This record gives sequence, C-alpha cells and structure tokens, in this order.
Amino acid sequence: MEVTRGGAASDADLVRTIADAAPVCDSQAEAELYRRLAPRVRLYGLRHLRDIQAAADLTQQVLLMTIEKLRAGALREPEKLASFVLGTCRLVVLDLRRGALRREALLRRYGAAAESEAPAPPDTLERQKLARCLEGLAERERSVLIASFFADKSAAEVGRTLGFSAENARVIRHRALLRLRDCMGVAKEAP
Amino acid sequence: MTESCAAPIPFAALVEYWCGELDAAAEARIEEHFLGCASCSAALQSLAALSSGVRAAFREGALHAAISAPFLEEMKRQGLRLREYRVAPGESVHCTIAASDDAVISRLQAPLVGIGRLDLVSMNERGELRYRLEDIPFDPEAGEVIFCPATAALKQHPVRIYRFRLLAVGADGERTLGDYTFIHTPS
Repeated sequence: MEVTRGGAASDADLVRTIADAAPVCDSQAEAELYRRLAPRVRLYGLRHLRDIQAAADLTQQVLLMTIEKLRAGALREPEKLASFVLGTCRLVVLDLRRGALRREALLRRYGAAAESEAPAPPDTLERQKLARCLEGLAERERSVLIASFFADKSAAEVGRTLGFSAENARVIRHRALLRLRDCMGVAKEAP
Repeated sequence: MTESCAAPIPFAALVEYWCGELDAAAEARIEEHFLGCASCSAALQSLAALSSGVRAAFREGALHAAISAPFLEEMKRQGLRLREYRVAPGESVHCTIAASDDAVISRLQAPLVGIGRLDLVSMNERGELRYRLEDIPFDPEAGEVIFCPATAALKQHPVRIYRFRLLAVGADGERTLGDYTFIHTPS
C-alpha cells in the first residue's frame, strides 16, 4: 500500500490494508500505523503510569498486541480502532500494575526500541526559554504549577496546602498554563 | 502539521484529564478521542511537555517558589537532597549549599492568621532591594512561609549576606511581619 505523508490514508484505511494483506505482512502500513499510534499510546501510559520507561513498555506491548490482532482480522469495524486500542491499553496497564508483566523481561526484550520511543528531553535553549517563561509568571501561578506537576497534585490538594479553594487553584493553574503556552509559542498548535 | 479536528477537546478538559481530575466516564471519552485524533493528541503532547518541563526546571534548581509543608515532604519522598533553615523573626542563620544538594529550604516563621496578601522582599547586606515577590501563596495556619530559592544560581554565589522581609499588605498599607538574615558561605 502506498502511504502518503499528511494522512491521506485514514487510520481505518490502514487497518483494512493490514487485514487484507494477511498472512503477508504489509510492513509499510504497519509502520505508518505504529508511527501514528505510538505517541498517543505513550501519552495514555504517561497519564496512568507517570513513568517514562513504563509508558514506553506499555506502548510496545499495546502496539504489538494491536498489530497482531489486525493481522488476524480480529477488528471487524476498522472505524473503532481507537476504542480497541483503549481497551488494550487498559488491559496492559492492569497487567503492568499486577506485576504480571515483569519489567525486567520487557526491558530485555524491548529495551532498545522502548528507549527510542522515550520523549526527547527539550534542548537547552527550550529549557532556558521555559525557565524564563516560568519566572515571568505570578508567584501564585508558579507555585501552583510546580505543586501540580512536580508533586502530581490535583487542584483540590494544591489549593488546600497553599491556602485557597480548589476552584481558585484550578483557575490559577489554567491561567498559568495559557500564559506559559503563549510564552513558549505553542498556543496556535493546540485547539 | 497535524490534521485538524472537527470537535477538539477543550484545553481546560485536557488539563483536568492530565491532572487526573475527571470521573471515569469523562476520562474514557477523552482517551477514546485522542487515541484516534492526531490533532488532539498533539495538543495533549504539548501539555505533557510543559508539565515535564516544569518538573525538570524545578528539580534542576532553575526556579524559585513558595511551597507548602506537604510539598516539602514530597520533595524528600522523591529523594531530593535538601538543606533546611528555620529562622524566627529578627534572627540570622549561617547557611551554605553543596554541589550535591538539590535545594535549600528557607522556613521563615511568622504569624500569618488574618493576613490577606503577603509579599517577600529580598535585600542585600546594605539593605538595597534585590527583588520583591508579590502575593506569595501561604497557609495561614502553618505559621511559616516555606521558600525555595533558585538553587542553580545560589550555587554560584560567593560569601554573601541575604536579608529577607515578610510584609503583610492590606488596604491600609503594609507592615513588617519579620526580618530574616542568611549569612551564606560557599560549601
């Protein structure tokens, strides 16, 4: 299958292509689907596991299982790929949490690939720019962001310990993130 | 360039999702959407990058911040190497920071109940203004302000005296809650 950059083939098109090619492997379609899904699954993993390596492990597991199922034609409605991937993510997270999948074994098996999937740290210039943008925030805004993201605290928890309501903490956090996004020049890339 | 989305997830909802504040049904709706949407997953990626950038900047000592006692415990739980200095109003303390330290924590004791706005003023040894942090967050019941200066810059400083002043600011003006002196010596 010819896969053009810019999304000419939808995710569902790729699912059909992979299923139709079986038992032959359409490596180009699989690679394109992997390229699209890997960052999304990694975000799911970061959100639920709060660990870059664990998120990379999850990504590898979920995508291997997904592509295996697609080759077998197990996804009868290709438009429901996202729902299928979400279900697989949940299963793998449960397994990871139960310890059924041993981290050491995953690292041995997927270590190199997982490492390559880890998000690249921002370069020095971006870090310096981010630090400058953070310094430009109001004191409450900076404190709320640090408490939210360094300590992974909800608005209710942040508010309780810093002396204001959960709603106030949520408003301060939202305003701070918008200002930070603007300062970093990423505002137009997000909805 | 990512494809556009006809019904993008609002930024506020992405933030609440990322911070784990949604109920299970709302969380599932967002996950099913972004797992199938290049545009919204890119927006979530931007948010994730900001959150990890904030975490890294604080961990590396690039930021100053007023923090809470539970947050200080979280820093210890995460294995950061800290030096803490608890100072009462009018007192001074000898302090330092080693290359291996992750942060220095100043615990400025002060009566805070009933205070609306609190400013922290930093001065040099001659009493000249270095900076003024306005409206810093605090827990009125805590009886202290916990301040974490930007450690990376502090590590570069020679022998130096820092003076801090806590000011309660109200409609009728401002009053000093306490003056605190830090006599800094490089490690």
